[in-house]
Amino acid sequence: MAHLAHYREAHPLIFVITHWINLVAMIFLIVTGFCIHFPFWPMFMGIARGLHVFFGFVLFLNCVFRVVAAFFVKTSPTGGTRQQVKDYKTWLPQKDNRHQALEWIKYYLFLKKDHPLGAKLGVPQKISYLLIPVLIVLMFWTGLCLWVPTMNVGVFWATTNLLGGLMSVRIIHYFLMYVFIVFMFIHVYLANVEGFAPTALMFIHKEHGGLVYDPDTHNIVGEDEEVRH
Amino acid sequence: MENQTTISEFDSILSSRGVTRRSFMKLCAGVAAAAGLSQLAVPRVAEALEKSVIGATKGDLYPVIWIEGASCTGCTESFAQIETPDAATVVLDMISLNYSETLSAAAGHSMEEAKKQTIEAGNYILVYEGGVLEGFDYNALRVAGETGNVALEEAAANANAVVAIGSCAVNGGWMAAHPNPAGAMGVQQYLEKVGINTTVVNIPGCPVNPEWLMSVLVDVVLLEDPSLIKLNGYNMPAGLFDQTIHDNCERRGHFENGEFVYEFGSEEEAKGYCLYPLGCRGPQTKSVCGVTMWNNRRSWCVQAGAPCVGCCEANPNNPGQNWVEVNTPFYKRHRDLRVGGLVLQPGTVALAVTGLVAAALVVHGFGMKKFGRMDGGADFEKVRKWDAAHPEQSIGTYADGAEGGPILNDDALYEKNTHHARPVRGVAAKPADDAADAEEN
Repeated sequence: MAHLAHYREAHPLIFVITHWINLVAMIFLIVTGFCIHFPFWPMFMGIARGLHVFFGFVLFLNCVFRVVAAFFVKTSPTGGTRQQVKDYKTWLPQKDNRHQALEWIKYYLFLKKDHPLGAKLGVPQKISYLLIPVLIVLMFWTGLCLWVPTMNVGVFWATTNLLGGLMSVRIIHYFLMYVFIVFMFIHVYLANVEGFAPTALMFIHKEHGGLVYDPDTHNIVGEDEEVRH
Repeated sequence: MENQTTISEFDSILSSRGVTRRSFMKLCAGVAAAAGLSQLAVPRVAEALEKSVIGATKGDLYPVIWIEGASCTGCTESFAQIETPDAATVVLDMISLNYSETLSAAAGHSMEEAKKQTIEAGNYILVYEGGVLEGFDYNALRVAGETGNVALEEAAANANAVVAIGSCAVNGGWMAAHPNPAGAMGVQQYLEKVGINTTVVNIPGCPVNPEWLMSVLVDVVLLEDPSLIKLNGYNMPAGLFDQTIHDNCERRGHFENGEFVYEFGSEEEAKGYCLYPLGCRGPQTKSVCGVTMWNNRRSWCVQAGAPCVGCCEANPNNPGQNWVEVNTPFYKRHRDLRVGGLVLQPGTVALAVTGLVAAALVVHGFGMKKFGRMDGGADFEKVRKWDAAHPEQSIGTYADGAEGGPILNDDALYEKNTHHARPVRGVAAKPADDAADAEEN
């Protein structure tokens, strides 16, 4: 057992909320999306389409808000500390990440025994999280290509044309949903496989004690047992 | 008598064909609407038809050359099935079909001569039915010793406009479907390729709806002002091809209610429910089939109980985006994907990949358990591998520069990161401190 302490400073309340919105919107979008693709529950069709469009906008706007907020809200650059920096810095390569990408992958593949020291987000984690806004924008964009009120708007029409027609857009939109599903599988697995402390912090803002890490000296400086386990 | 002096020659042509002035004006209104013009333009349309279309005053009918490319002649068939007399026939009778391999009574040298003369005289329109085949050195469409591409180029270069009818003429249609051995493509793309810039108006469909052709003949050429015609990005009349079939479908109500046909021969089918689960392409195919309908507005595919197969899907610049390639298998919601020789449905691919990932995670989970990482993960490394190898460029500061290990004895660092003092080892923290900490957080 050797996790870093999970402090609220890592995920301020506003990001707990945006994470909740992401979760709810994505689940609604996936369930309604499947219904729209093929009406498994016929009578749900009308509602499913309304919800799908609604949560599509929610997810996109939440994503825009989250990205903008990264430049204003402060969060911890690593686990195990209450110190904070502007959130966007935790998304860029940090000194704590340097030379650790391969170490993380080796750790995941059981080729490395020890847990790598790293920032709040390890290198593979950081890269995959950064792809999520890209994915959301692509999903929103292809969604608007398929949505009748916007399908003939110049940019969306041009996109549809470029991608080979509405059938291709439909299939791309469908595949991207599976990318979300695969991401969620991996994300849920990795976030919980070493204990539920990260999930408790992200969902109900509950702290958990553990090793203390100093982001300035880039090393562990003790263990915080004050926070209840 | 007053009537005799005011009735125009045109009106007498109409009445001789059993068409009233009223139904002619309705046609004009329809034409105006299809061209995206306001109703204020109706008198202008009527005037244009009377003066220049009909040729009643001059006696000259508008010359049309109709060339069969790589076609099944289905569009001609569709066109020939118009019942007479009706407004469409009146208009179409007033063109002079100078050349048509299928419809002309004459044949052989005299026909080719007629075509040649028409081309030389100019001021005609070319109707091209079927795809352009580049394969076999263009010999697949050899007529009268001339390869198909030469016939098209000659007729198109001098025409006022080329009307490409049917999905094959728009982008190769089903002939362009994989593996497209004949090198089929649409008229517009071919003419662009050889540098002929005559306006091409595309009217897809398999076959083309004769009423759309009629509307375009009137719109494009006979109004004598091509700028009045509103074409979309595919050079198709916007009024006909900018909305999906789904938008105007008579079964749309059932779609909204969630009433679907899942199986042919079912009770739901008998009730006329929505055909979406049977692969109907209405939501992604742009055309006004449900409004114009077919066979003199008698019925259309969906009314007859067939899911739309998307025959109007045709990107004139991309033969690969032909309606057969894009829409088969017709009864599935997605097209097939081809990976090498494999033919796969997107849903199968997506499920297989997702299943593999899920299985890999389960296996990984057993590994995590075996390595004892389930409870908080493995112990942290004492020193970063890179730091140990490059102590002079070390990122971290360790208790021991070579052996690594946590710096455990710096109370100031501890307090900076936890916002409380390091408790004395072995002494439990007081509950009051906890409460204070919680408040602070």
